Amino acid sequence: MKDIASANLDKMTPAEFEEYLPELFESGGGSISKDPRFTNFFKAHPDCAALVSDLEIIAEQAKSLFEPGAGTEPSDAVWSNIASKLKDEPPTSKEN
Amino acid sequence: MQTKPNPGFFKRNAPIAGEAEAIENAKNGDPDAFAKLYALHKRRVYTLCLRMLGNVSEAEDMTQEAFLHLFRKLGSFRGESAFSTWLHRLTVNLVLMHLRKKGLQLVSLEETINPSEEDAPKRDFGSRDTMLSGSVDRVTLERAVALLPPGYRMVFVLHDVEGFEHNEIATMLECSTGNSKSQLHKARLKLRELLRESQALQPADSVSEAAR
Repeated sequence: MKDIASANLDKMTPAEFEEYLPELFESGGGSISKDPRFTNFFKAHPDCAALVSDLEIIAEQAKSLFEPGAGTEPSDAVWSNIASKLKDEPPTSKEN
Repeated sequence: MQTKPNPGFFKRNAPIAGEAEAIENAKNGDPDAFAKLYALHKRRVYTLCLRMLGNVSEAEDMTQEAFLHLFRKLGSFRGESAFSTWLHRLTVNLVLMHLRKKGLQLVSLEETINPSEEDAPKRDFGSRDTMLSGSVDRVTLERAVALLPPGYRMVFVLHDVEGFEHNEIATMLECSTGNSKSQLHKARLKLRELLRESQALQPADSVSEAAR
C-alpha cells in the first residue's frame, strides 16, 4: 500500500492517484472528497473527483445493508431443525 | 491528527432490548431465552450467510449451524465484545470453514478467489459523464453486491456492511491486511461499474427519483 504523504500531487496522474486510494480510504475515514489536500488535484482531474465521490457513496450506502431488508429471513424449518437438535444437547463450553 | 471512525462500531454494538437477559437465561439452559436470541438475531445472521454464500438453501443450513454452534459456545461468551459482533464473527468463521470444505480455497485471495480479467473492474479514466447520480438505493446496491465475484463480495460484506476491520478480515481470510484493503477497493470499483450499468438501463426520471 502506498502512502500519499510522499507523493507530489502537482505531477500525479489519475492512474497513480488510484494506487493510493485503498490506503486513503482506510486512513481518511471516507471523506477524501472533502480533504483540502486534494482540492487542486480534483479540479485538474474531475474524473478522479467523480471516482472518489462515487466510492464514498457506495461505502456510505453499504452501511444501510447491515439491517436486513423486509422479508429477508430464514424459513420456519430452520428453527424447527435447531429446536429438534437442541433437545439432545446441553450447552457445555465455558472457555473463549 | 485525524481520528479514523469505525463505521461498523455503532451498528454492531447497538443494544437490543431484552438481549442481555436472554443471554444470561440461555446460558442457564432456558430454552425460551435461546428462542428469543434466535428471534432477535436470525435475520441478520441469515442475511450475512446469504450474502457470503449467494444461495438460499446453503444460507439456511449455515444459519442453523451458526445457532447450534452458538448454543454450544454460549457459555464462553463473556461480554468483552457486543454479542452481535461475537455471533457474527462466529457465523463468518463457520461459513468460511464451510467454503473451505467445499474446496473454495480462501487461503490465498490472490491466487484462488481473485476474479478473472473479465470480472475485474475496468480502469476508465478519461471517459466523462461517468458519475453515479448522487445516491444509490439499497435494493439496487444489494443486487449489485450479489453480482460481485465471490472474493470481492466477501471482503466488501465483511468490511463495508458488517464493519469488521481489515486486520480482522485478514485473520479470518488468512491473507494480509494489504490484500484485504486492495480487494475492498477493487470490490467498490466493480460495484461502481455495475451500478453505472444499472443506472444506464434506467429511464432518466427513475434515476433522478432514486437520487432524491
